[in-house]
Amino acid sequence: MRITCPFCGERELGEFTYLGDAKPVRPVAGASEDEVFDYVYLRDNVAGVMSENWYHGGGCRAWLKVTRNTLTHEISAVEPAAGAGAAKVGA
Amino acid sequence: MAEFSWDVRSPLDRALVSGAHGAHGDAGVSLTEIRDFDLIQVMARRGKAADMATAAKARFGIAAPETPKAVRTADATLIWSGPDQFLVLSKGGGHGTEALAQPFASSASLSDQSHTRVLISISGARALTMLAKLSSIDLHPDAFPVGAAAATSMDHASVTLWRGNDRDGLAVFNVLVFATFAESLWHTMLDSAAEYGVDISHSEDMA
Repeated sequence: MRITCPFCGERELGEFTYLGDAKPVRPVAGASEDEVFDYVYLRDNVAGVMSENWYHGGGCRAWLKVTRNTLTHEISAVEPAAGAGAAKVGA
Repeated sequence: MAEFSWDVRSPLDRALVSGAHGAHGDAGVSLTEIRDFDLIQVMARRGKAADMATAAKARFGIAAPETPKAVRTADATLIWSGPDQFLVLSKGGGHGTEALAQPFASSASLSDQSHTRVLISISGARALTMLAKLSSIDLHPDAFPVGAAAATSMDHASVTLWRGNDRDGLAVFNVLVFATFAESLWHTMLDSAAEYGVDISHSEDMA
């Protein structure tokens, strides 16, 4: 599997680290225990297209949001995660 | 109070043995460690990427790379190292942290990396063949011309790689690697290059 980093171009899998589901959003301060529990522990086990966080630690050290099909490993989109590369994200 | 005498030594001080290595005959690969350089990481503060670019242009007279490239000024090389950040490689202190602090005061954070990296220059007729064993990226001249750069990994170690100006009509590749990984990568490079014959040296001069 190869991932096309939006900053570096196409690179081998070994340069990246998988960080899991990109969907969960950190609850606001003071959120209920159930909301925090969901955020910390509960994950969908998707068979198909899902959004994932990857880290390009062996390259530009940017965080990436990868859209990947877990059945075929087909990657349909790679974009910088929020905060990675202000020029591209505008964050 | 105990007195210390700090002796600056290269992390390759032990491993690097100048002279010929590997196959006999004309050396196909030259490995040269460049010593005593200044290396400053310049990283834009949040939302200040455009200001950093303006400051870099004013300071160096040339735009800092915003894509994986290395550009040269008269006395420094600016190397892309990631989004909104670049390295300033130079000699003699003219572009050290003290010199750069004021120009980038309102746009970027500086971090002195001078003693954290080892700089290895790789050239020779078989340099590309030898590097193909270590790098997973395409270094063919069509894909990686003079001035191309990459933040990548070699033998699991993160490196900053860029192609400098040709010397004697042959490509010159430069590798910056973390000091503590340098000896390991150095031995891997020697093993990879041995079959082509290696000319090993170190130099104070920036290529």
